[in-house]
Amino acid sequence: MKQYQFIIYFLVLFLSSNIIYAKKLITPLTNKPAAVNFKLLDMDGKTHQLSDYKGQPIIINFWATWCPPCREELPSMNRAWAKVKSQGIAMIAINVGEDEDTIFTFTGDYPIDFTILLDQSGEIINQWPIKGLPTTFVIDPQGRIVYRAIGGREWDSEELLNIVRALKTKPSN
Amino acid sequence: MKKISFLICLLLPQILHADITKTASPETQLIEWKLVEQNFELSIIQRLPDQTYSFFAARGFPKHISHNIANSCVFQTIIRNNSKDKNQSIDVSLKKWHIKINNKTQPLKLKKVWDKEWQQSDIKPASKLAFRWATLPTEQNYEPSGDYNWGMISFGPKPGSIFDLYIEWQINNQKNSTWIKNIICPTNR
Repeated sequence: MKQYQFIIYFLVLFLSSNIIYAKKLITPLTNKPAAVNFKLLDMDGKTHQLSDYKGQPIIINFWATWCPPCREELPSMNRAWAKVKSQGIAMIAINVGEDEDTIFTFTGDYPIDFTILLDQSGEIINQWPIKGLPTTFVIDPQGRIVYRAIGGREWDSEELLNIVRALKTKPSN
Repeated sequence: MKKISFLICLLLPQILHADITKTASPETQLIEWKLVEQNFELSIIQRLPDQTYSFFAARGFPKHISHNIANSCVFQTIIRNNSKDKNQSIDVSLKKWHIKINNKTQPLKLKKVWDKEWQQSDIKPASKLAFRWATLPTEQNYEPSGDYNWGMISFGPKPGSIFDLYIEWQINNQKNSTWIKNIICPTNR
């Protein structure tokens, strides 16, 4: 009997370690660099600046329509937006190098309800610490980059969104 | 005893160190070589020359340049840091990778080499931008919070060539390396 208890104990430990392993979150940036301001047009031709969003946490995703992991994570970002849009958190998807028509066609298959900005010349992505798409940053209310995710994530996970929500209540040092 | 054996069988695949696997997609028949070594995971997946040609032609590259890229053994590549340890960072520099073909070693055809080739060509900035972001970064750090990246790599040889690939990566500045043997540059079907 004791032998079985040991096996069950081992199995529980093993499975819980796998559950922890499955929780892939985001990387905190200890140096918290200031996010570089941008001035970009949205799909309706309206200008947006990063500084317009100061005072609230912002999730900024750099993406392109041809990027498979971007396509994989965007639906979870859209679900995340539905959860946080009334909670004082902003979300922006900055498309790299494509035009309105391409993005418009794409959003027919992959609806994006939050703000899409166009970095057609790649000028902004070159100023941010990015090496691949998708890369997502979380900016704190003081305008500093506090988290980074290289590659896709499940953005609608409560555990991940709670990290962003926490920036509202306690200022990051 | 049977129950114990069953549990051991259940755990065994997780405990064993996996190495390099080679699998063909049932739909496309394209081959993927996958390396899982400690927490470093690398997949290189064949792309048909036609597939690569279409991608770059659709992004405004002139036909002859799209053709050159497509015939340079372009693979889709995915690199992941699967670490559970929050301090285990992985660094990859493609400058340290090389291939061995016909008993000769040669470097990968990296972005810098393509850029140099295109200095005199009339390629639109938007096309170059797409190339830059669709190809795997030459150097990148992967943090253990689930970081991964994907992108194309051009190994260089012509379609139909077979080569060995030397791979190097660092875990917390400690060098790791291995070879993937007999990689096949696919031909159009």
